This record gives sequence, C-alpha cells and structure tokens, in this order.
Amino acid sequence: MNSLQAIQQQMLQAVLAERAHLPFTIRGDAIADADSRLAVYRHGYRIRLRDALKNEFAGLRSMAEQRFQRMLDKYVAAHPSEHYNIRWYGAGLAAFLDYARPWREQPQWAEMARLDWAISTAFDAEDEACIGMVELSSVPSDTWPGLLLSLQQNLHILAAHYNIEAFRRAADRGDKRPRLRRFEQARQILVWRKAMSVHYRLLEEDEWQVLSAVIQGEPFASLCERMANLHDETSATPRMVMLLQGWLEAGLIRGWSFG
Amino acid sequence: MAMNKMERADRLPYLGYGLGLRTEHYEALLADPGKVQWLEVVSENYMVSGGLPLVWLERFRERFPLVMHGVSMSIGSTDPLDNDYLARLVALAQRIEPAWISDHLCWTGVQGVNLHDLMPLPYTEEALDHVVDRVRRVQDTLKRRILLENVSSYVSFADSQLTEWDFLASVAERADCLILLDINNVHVSAMNHGFSPQDYLRGIPVSRVQQFHLAGYEQGEQLIIDTHDAPVSHAVWDLYIDAVRRFGRVSTMIERDDHFPPLTELLTELEHARALAEPLLRDAA
Repeated sequence: MNSLQAIQQQMLQAVLAERAHLPFTIRGDAIADADSRLAVYRHGYRIRLRDALKNEFAGLRSMAEQRFQRMLDKYVAAHPSEHYNIRWYGAGLAAFLDYARPWREQPQWAEMARLDWAISTAFDAEDEACIGMVELSSVPSDTWPGLLLSLQQNLHILAAHYNIEAFRRAADRGDKRPRLRRFEQARQILVWRKAMSVHYRLLEEDEWQVLSAVIQGEPFASLCERMANLHDETSATPRMVMLLQGWLEAGLIRGWSFG
Repeated sequence: MAMNKMERADRLPYLGYGLGLRTEHYEALLADPGKVQWLEVVSENYMVSGGLPLVWLERFRERFPLVMHGVSMSIGSTDPLDNDYLARLVALAQRIEPAWISDHLCWTGVQGVNLHDLMPLPYTEEALDHVVDRVRRVQDTLKRRILLENVSSYVSFADSQLTEWDFLASVAERADCLILLDINNVHVSAMNHGFSPQDYLRGIPVSRVQQFHLAGYEQGEQLIIDTHDAPVSHAVWDLYIDAVRRFGRVSTMIERDDHFPPLTELLTELEHARALAEPLLRDAA
C-alpha cells in the first residue's frame, strides 16, 4: 500500500506536470478512464490560476492583448502557487517578466505588472488614519522648520519608463487602449489608498523630489530648500503650499513628529 | 424520520435558510435581502489586513448571523498545519464571532505547493488517523468544533479501504467534529464513481450534520463537473428531500461560486428549498 504522503506527492506531480502522466494509484472504470479523471484536476488547476491573475492585472491584460494568455500560461507553468490564498499568486509575476524570455527584452511588461500589483495590494492593505489641514494647523509656526512628516506606510512609488499609468487608467475606465510610449526620462507613479478607494497618478518632477525627501526623513525646512532650488523665489512657496494641501486632501500624511 | 431529540442535543444553533455571500450581490442583498436568514462568508476573502472587504463584512454582520467557510485549511495534507493560516482564521473568528467555522474534508496542496483545489483523500485507515489528529488540533486552536464538508471528486484511489461516507462519518465521530453536507457534491461524486447517493446519506450520522449546501453542476462528456455555477438540478432537489427526511431541520443555503445571476434568482431557489423542506418538517413534528 502507498502511504498518504506518497499518494499526495504523486497526485501533485501529476497535476503540475506539463505532460500528463498517470499516478499508479488512480483507478479508471466504466464511467471514465483514469486519464479523463486526472484531466479534470490538471485543467482546473491552470484555469483557476489564470483566472486569478486576470482579475489582478487589468493594465497588463490591456497592454499585452493576445499575448496575455501565453504570458500567464508560462508563468503558471514556471511558478507553482505557494500561498494559501490564490489572490497572492500574482505577487511574483513582475519578477517573472523581468527575467523570462521573451518578455525580459521588453521591460514595459514587468513595469505594467508592478503597477497592477501595487494597485491590487493597496486595496486590502492595513487601514491607516490620516491627518488633515486642521490637525497640521495646530503645529506652532516656529516649530515648522523641524517638522517631520510621516507618509502612509502602504503608499507605493514606482518608476515608469513607459506610459503604464495611461494603460491602467484606460483599462479601469473601459476606454480605448493607448499607444505604447516610452518617456524620455523615467517618471514616478504614486499609488495609495484613501479610506476605501485606491488611487494612482503620475508625479511631477518637483513633487517627486520633495516627496522622496519626506520618505528619507528630511525636515520641512529641507523640503522648502529643495523646492527653492527647483523654482524661482515667487513660485517656490506657493508650490510647496499647494503640494502640502494636495497631500493632506489625498490622505497621504498620517502624522508628524520633530527631529 | 430517523433523528430524535437526544441525537441532536450537541448541534449548534439552527439558522434557517441562507446564502453564500459574494461581492456580486453585496448591494442587492443589503437593499432587499428577501427572506435570507443568515450568510456564509468565504473565510480567506476576509483574512486581509484592512480595506473594503472588512468594511462590507461589518455591514453584513450588523444585519445577519454569519458563518465562516474556508477553502484552504488543507486538513488532509501531509504538510504541517499552516500556523499562519490558523492564526488569521482565529483573528477573523474573534472579529466576526461566526455561529460556526467550516472547511473541507480534503487536501489542497503538499510539499509547500498549493493546488487551490479540493483534492480527495484516499479512504484508508492511515488517512483517517491523520485527519482525525489534525481536526482535533485545529479544534483545540479554534477552541470550538468545526464542520467538515464532503467534496466533489473525480478520482478514486486503488488504496482506499473505506467508502467516502464511512470515512467522513468516522472522522466526525472520532474527532468530534460536525458535518457540512453538500447535497450537490454527494450527487456529483455518486454519479462520477457509480455509488448510491442514498447509501451515502444513510451512512452519515444524523447528529453530526449541522449544515446543508445546495448548488449546481455541469454535465461533462463522461463526468459531472462540480462548478457551483448553475441552478440546483432536479436530481439534487430530490436528494435534498431525502436529506431533509433523514436529517431533519438543518441550516440550509444556496452556494453559487460563478456565473452569478441576479440576487432574485438565488432568493427564488432558496424559497424553493424552504417550500420543499418545511412541509416535511411539519409532518414529522
């Protein structure tokens, strides 16, 4: 008699294998032969994983068009699922597209997958409180230079060399798919959740520079200095105020402290 | 009717007629729940850190009794029990205080790989000992008895020594757990393996059955495929009548996992279940 462990290992291999081979423990009968019986599990495994990915990668689906199915099939063949929740199966897709031929030769696929995944994971990330202008106004004005802003921990910033944000937006809205365009210089995309809604948008260059300074823990005086280096005297301060208001309204800031 | 009052003493509360909660029906269900008395939620969908899923869950919790139904416990696997999974399951149970928690009598993966399918077990004494031990450990962790559901299956193993119903009954008796009897799955497996669904029902101890699932399937060329994406079939309604006759008043729900119709269609199916069961239960009272 085969042990339970041996039977499960045989079944696992029979389901995962690219070509069907029959575990010796399965019985066929007059209703259906053993091959047909095993095929239900082999087929179901691939369909389920593919469907789970389709739900999470709306931008990639639009960008890849008819190549999407083959891309997913190759990923499923190369990467067995290891998490109990099928929802997390897509976590490795961007990395797969980074190294697997032929997709690694066209980095827009991995970039797009990374944006889709960031949006997907923001959806059910941990809830975080955010502060508004009222709370921040309570900070005494003479202490502002040393003010350290804390951003939402679930916020993502992704580098984009292609117009991946436009692909995702078109997919979300059901709009016509845009043409693929490579930026002259890499841009940054911000992904975050405010209350229960996930948002994403391209960052302007000055906003990206100041926001990365916030992430690195620089005080408010240093943020203003950076802004002054990017704009002339008359526009630097209004621009800083505008960005700060925008971050507060978007729910990006969860609190502050002093260095 | 086979059961008597003594046999049912250790069952959990009777909840009536319910539905499986699916995102497709969230808004319709809150707007007009018809006569839905309780909801079954898929545990894994809410074992998340935050966000919209838990907000919706709280809304439903305010309106309905909830039960938790998992698909990933992998109680029959020879891999170690997943402690992270169990910890999250405990946390969700503490959050929503379900009337009960169920999963499937199956394995979903081995060697660290998850097949995301309800794989059947070989019905051997070794598998029985293994499952009984794990059910006891899970029940100790959850501090409550769980329900195990019979799965639809397409393969059987040369090594099996017991019938599926003897195996399920023995697990329930030895581990002191309860049974979620999926009437559709009994029919699907009976057709696929050529056994009598009546024999199956007769082999299940009345006192252990806490919940019924009703669902639909797809007729393949040779095998019936348990898709849970179609209305309940005539054959399954007939078997449900037999099950009500044998097991008496059991919390019953319609489970639809794909090809979601408007909520009103599921409510109609649920009312059909009630219309079939209630006269039988009144006659037996």
